[in-house]
Amino acid sequence: MPQSARDKLKLKHLDEINRFNQNFASAKKSLDQKGISLSKLREHSNKIIAAGALASALALAPPQGDHLLPPPKEIIEKVTRSSSSLPVETNAVVLRKVLSQVLPEEPRALTEHEEKTLEQVILETTGVKAKANLEGEHLNTTYGLIGAEQHLRRYPGDTLAQHKPDADEYGGERVDEIIEEGITPGLGAWGYFAPSKEAFTPDLEETERWYAVVQTLYLPDWEKRQPYLKDWYKYRKVLIVNTENGKAVIASVADSGPAAFTGKQFGGSPEVMDYLGGQSYKKGAVLVFFVDDPNNEVSLGPVDYNKI
Amino acid sequence: MSRLFYDHLLDLDELETRVKVITKDREEQNEIFRLIDEIVHHRVVGCILNHLPEEHHEKFLVHLSERPHDKQILDFLRDKILEDIEGFIKQEIRTVAIELLKIVADENSPEVHKLKARTLRKARNG
Repeated sequence: MPQSARDKLKLKHLDEINRFNQNFASAKKSLDQKGISLSKLREHSNKIIAAGALASALALAPPQGDHLLPPPKEIIEKVTRSSSSLPVETNAVVLRKVLSQVLPEEPRALTEHEEKTLEQVILETTGVKAKANLEGEHLNTTYGLIGAEQHLRRYPGDTLAQHKPDADEYGGERVDEIIEEGITPGLGAWGYFAPSKEAFTPDLEETERWYAVVQTLYLPDWEKRQPYLKDWYKYRKVLIVNTENGKAVIASVADSGPAAFTGKQFGGSPEVMDYLGGQSYKKGAVLVFFVDDPNNEVSLGPVDYNKI
Repeated sequence: MSRLFYDHLLDLDELETRVKVITKDREEQNEIFRLIDEIVHHRVVGCILNHLPEEHHEKFLVHLSERPHDKQILDFLRDKILEDIEGFIKQEIRTVAIELLKIVADENSPEVHKLKARTLRKARNG
C-alpha cells in the first residue's frame, strides 16, 4: 500500500476514535469502567464466546435454538420416518433435513452440544469424521457465511490461464466458468504452493483447486502461538457443507480471511464454490469442521455421499 | 468467534478487494483490515448512540459489553428507538466505506463508483 494511503488510514483511525471519545464521553467512560475498548470489540466478543458465556447475559435471553438437542440417531430416525413420500432417501437429503432442524435460521455461534450433535450426524450421513475441535484447536466459528475467492498463485510465474482444468478434471467441460473469478493479485497466506513450476506436484494442484479460507487472523491467540498455529492450519483439511442443499466438499486451508467487514467468515476456491452451489453461487451459509484425518486418507474434493 | 451483533449488516467486499490489490504484504493487509474494522466499530456504535435516547445508553453498553455477538441487541434497539435502526447502521457503514475507499482507492476508481451507486440505490429503495 502506498505510504500516503497507509498514513491517511492511520490518521483516519485516530480521528474516529478521538471523535467518538469527544462526542460520547460518558459512553466512553462507561465502557472504560467495564474494561471494554471499542477497538478491541471483536477480540472481546471472541473471549466471551470462547469462555462459553453464551447464556450469561443479565437481561437478554439465550440465542434462539440454543436448546438441548435429542441424540443424533434420534434426529436422523425422526427425519427419515417423517418422509413417507420417497421409498428411500439419499444421505444428502437426510443431512439437509437434519440441518434444517438442528441449525438456527441465521448463522451464529453454535454451542458445543450443537457441534457435537452435528459431528455425529455428519459422520452418519457422509462417513466423514468431522470435528469442530481438533487437537485443541477450534475455528472462530463453525457456522457462517462463505464467499467466493479467486484462484491462488501456485508458483512463481503462475497465470490464470494455467488454472484452466483439463477435460477430465473438475469443471473441464466449463473451463471459462472455472477461471471467471480471476487470480489473486498477491499470494495466499502461506505463499506459493511450490517454489517453481517444476516442483509443483499433482497433490499441490488439488490443494489449490479445493482450497478454503478461514479467519486465522482473528483467532484470539494467533499472534501468541506462532509459528505453531501457522503450521497447524497450513493445508488443514476441512469439511464444508452448504446448509441449504447439503452438498459437501473436503477442502484444505490455504489462505487467511476474509476481512471481518465483509460480513463473511469463510472463503472457497472457484471450484469449491462451484461445487457447493453452482456457477452463480457467491455467498451462502455453510458449516466448516476440521477433518480428523491423521493418516491423510481422505481425498480433497466433493464428498460423494449422494448415492442411495 | 469473530462475530458482532451487526456483522450481518456488513458487506464491504469492495473495500477488501481494493486493500488486497494495493497491499501484497500479508502482515500489512491484516493491519489494514484491523484498522478498518476498528473504524467501523466506532462509527456503528456512534450511530447507535446518536439515535438511541440517552436514558437507554447505559443498558445498551451493558449488552454490548456482555453479549457483543448477540443479535438480540438489535431487538433491544428496535424497541427503544422505534425506527429502522438496521437501516441507519447500514447507511452509516456505507458512508464510512465510501470515506475509506477514497483513502485506499482513487476517487474515480470503479470500486468507489460501485459503492456510491449501491448506496444511492439502497437509499432510494429505503
